[in-house]
Amino acid sequence: MVEKKEYKEWPPFAPGTHLHDSDIKEKKVNYTWWEPEVQYSWSLGPAMSKFLQGLKNGIIYGIHCKRCKRVLVPPRSFCEYCYGPTEEWVELKDTGTIETFSISYIDADARRIEEPILIGVISIDGASPQHGFMHYFGEMSKDEIKIGMKVKAVWKSENEREGSITDIKYFKPLSGGAK
Amino acid sequence: MTYGEKQTDPTSPMHWRGDMQADYMYPSGIAGDKFFNHLKEKDTFLATKCKTCNKVLFPPRLYCEDCFNEIPESDWMEVPSSGTVRIYTVAKLNAHGEKMQEPKVIAMIDINNTDGAILGIIKTNDYEKDFSGLKVKANLRPKGKREGTLKDILYWE
Repeated sequence: MVEKKEYKEWPPFAPGTHLHDSDIKEKKVNYTWWEPEVQYSWSLGPAMSKFLQGLKNGIIYGIHCKRCKRVLVPPRSFCEYCYGPTEEWVELKDTGTIETFSISYIDADARRIEEPILIGVISIDGASPQHGFMHYFGEMSKDEIKIGMKVKAVWKSENEREGSITDIKYFKPLSGGAK
Repeated sequence: MTYGEKQTDPTSPMHWRGDMQADYMYPSGIAGDKFFNHLKEKDTFLATKCKTCNKVLFPPRLYCEDCFNEIPESDWMEVPSSGTVRIYTVAKLNAHGEKMQEPKVIAMIDINNTDGAILGIIKTNDYEKDFSGLKVKANLRPKGKREGTLKDILYWE
């Protein structure tokens, strides 16, 4: 076993110079600032394209796998169980059940916030059990939210929709109250 | 569209375009801060001298890169803002890979009276010429407009 050595005097080291936010803001030190252009383009493929186009028109699309008798949402071109092609589009309801949720006291930029954001996974009605996607919850408090709660999508107005998952603003409790 | 359907509209598959924020801020450090603060006021550069190795470090450093000795305040020295081209390249494409209207000569310039070098842009009209060994002088941004970055050196000629 290596004996722990007690240093009476530490080996020489550089103490370091701490920079504070104010040093940068008041330009007390010289620095170089650069914003690189990092653009990306993600090809969505046929299934996801149709799903997002559907959201633009206020419809949640699922897709049916005939062999496994499953309705997948978000839709995929191939069933991940049987690897067979999925063939039949299904229009789903914009209601569902909370599968799991999180009460977050930090926002997307990891800043602390007073009012928590409620997010979670919703299994969509009309799709196979436990098939759905993640979204925000609204019109409910952190004390009211619970697993198994029925929720309904709140859509953006028609001209605001752009073919994005955020075309749904959030999911609110169905029939106007927590159950 | 599913696997069984035929795709007739080539524009129907969507692309999701995004922009990633990846800003960065690079502080010059203690030695770099001193160098740029000097450059804001004067038309010369600063360097540090290691007396053990008998080497003049440029850009100035607080520690010698060979013997790791700390360089005292008294061994900072002023050097002229001129030098000799050690090696160069003529760039015809910009950072995005697009063709530039005028080529850019990017050179490593050995600074006079020092053992160090710095990267810079050489101003010229003749891009076919051999620049190695060329004596050049720094053309700095007008005083008062200097920001304390390497961009304060506009070009060399």
